Amino acid sequence: MTGSPVIETFPTPTIVTLGDSALLVRFGTALTEPANRAAIALATQLNHEPLAGVLEVVPNLVSVLLRYDPLQSCRADIVGELRLRLFALDPAAVSAGRDWTISVHFDGPDLDSVAADLGLSSAEFIAAHNARPVRVLATGFAPGFVYCGMHPDNLVVPRRTEVRPMVPPGTVLFAAGQTAITATELPTGWHIIGSTDFDNFDPAAAAPTQLAPGDQLHFVVAS
Amino acid sequence: MSTILAITRAGPLLTVQDAGRFGHLADGISASGPMDAMAYQLAGALAGADHAGLEITMAGMALKLQSGRCRIGLAGGLFVARHNEHILDWPGSVVLETGDELTITPGAAGNYGYLRFDGELGLPPVMGSRATSSRARLGGLSGRPLQVGDVLELHGASGAAPGPVALPEPQDGPIRFVWGLHADLFATEIRQRFASTPFGISRRLDRMGVRLDDAAGVFADATSLSLVSDAIVPGDIQILGDGTPIVLMRDHQPTGGYPRIGTIITADLDRFAQLRPESTVEFAPVSVDHAHQLLRNRQP
Repeated sequence: MTGSPVIETFPTPTIVTLGDSALLVRFGTALTEPANRAAIALATQLNHEPLAGVLEVVPNLVSVLLRYDPLQSCRADIVGELRLRLFALDPAAVSAGRDWTISVHFDGPDLDSVAADLGLSSAEFIAAHNARPVRVLATGFAPGFVYCGMHPDNLVVPRRTEVRPMVPPGTVLFAAGQTAITATELPTGWHIIGSTDFDNFDPAAAAPTQLAPGDQLHFVVAS
Repeated sequence: MSTILAITRAGPLLTVQDAGRFGHLADGISASGPMDAMAYQLAGALAGADHAGLEITMAGMALKLQSGRCRIGLAGGLFVARHNEHILDWPGSVVLETGDELTITPGAAGNYGYLRFDGELGLPPVMGSRATSSRARLGGLSGRPLQVGDVLELHGASGAAPGPVALPEPQDGPIRFVWGLHADLFATEIRQRFASTPFGISRRLDRMGVRLDDAAGVFADATSLSLVSDAIVPGDIQILGDGTPIVLMRDHQPTGGYPRIGTIITADLDRFAQLRPESTVEFAPVSVDHAHQLLRNRQP
């Protein structure tokens, strides 16, 4: 959980084929804190010291995607080098991500029902939600979209049974022990607990998104 | 004098494409780029340059050259192209002069054709690419498909003749795939049936994905699995919760949580993209090494 960054060992990775131009290093098949931290650590390492022949490295919730061009590089060579990097991956050497303060207008249509489902008043829910920073677990689902977590077990609600066809950028979503922030219009089955003015997608910027996996988000009530 | 062309007829999904916007999956942007990459390359070779071009769908298009001149290259599927009233070869190449009209209508085969120029389109690259992403609504002209009345400028077009261009041999046979990320979650019997049963190409296809008709009910009893969201690549064959197989294409979502039984190999994805609705498709598994060999053999 957030606030306990010390992990003795990472889960054992599996190198999986994903088509003929990509590999996936999986640290598990379910979302766990160690698997997520391992995926972010490997991606950070591979982006810091690129592997020859690898075109793109993308961390996911519990895996890392490595894209390569089979006409330019040899899959077996990449796998060989990758195994060496995995042996050397050290939980103790993982650096903390950047810290961000995200102001949220807690006025979403599902705020009261989410709080009620957890046996809390809305004010108690907001206080509990903001009590501790959460990590960016993954990006990539949609432009600038971030999954953040994990919240403690007493702040877990399932997704909605119905999907909302379209929610605007800056919508703050909540489900499955996570908070997510949209940066473009998209449909969602998550609960809407609020909105933020923080904009995590600018296609004209040199870095179109700012939040990276492993960053720590401190949610505060917008004044 | 600059070369200026005006779109006088546009199908609903006429888009600007280049090789693709690679390197932004972590930002939540899939690469886009041509649905039939080899045909896109061929059209570029026929135009004699490697600039962004137009991807034409079954609805066709027409344009008029308002000023200047340019050479164009045409390839992909089998469309009917007219230069003024003269029918052009497809694939083919021709010089357009001021006042000329180019009309492209559907022909005998294929879903996607390519029109490329020997000049660069005067459109700003977005995140390093002019490719239009129908998912993220960026790139191309204001992130949208082209419409009647759109005017495009070409920089550096000269009409010079291209070098010799080798035309590829048409390919046939089953669409080859490698077993996918979640193949182990499907029963052996379902995997065997998947690789031995014809599927239909449905009418629900676009740049994001192609839904298959599963008339034999191979995935009818598929149970909805709750999977952790994971990376998607073009060609992934995912099975939705209601058992519908869908092949994810160039404007795919970057990540997803439905099980994927296989991934179409790069050497066959272009050919798959050109399969028309109501045609049938069979899938055949190959090893990754074999997929790489087929890709090397395909290079002109």
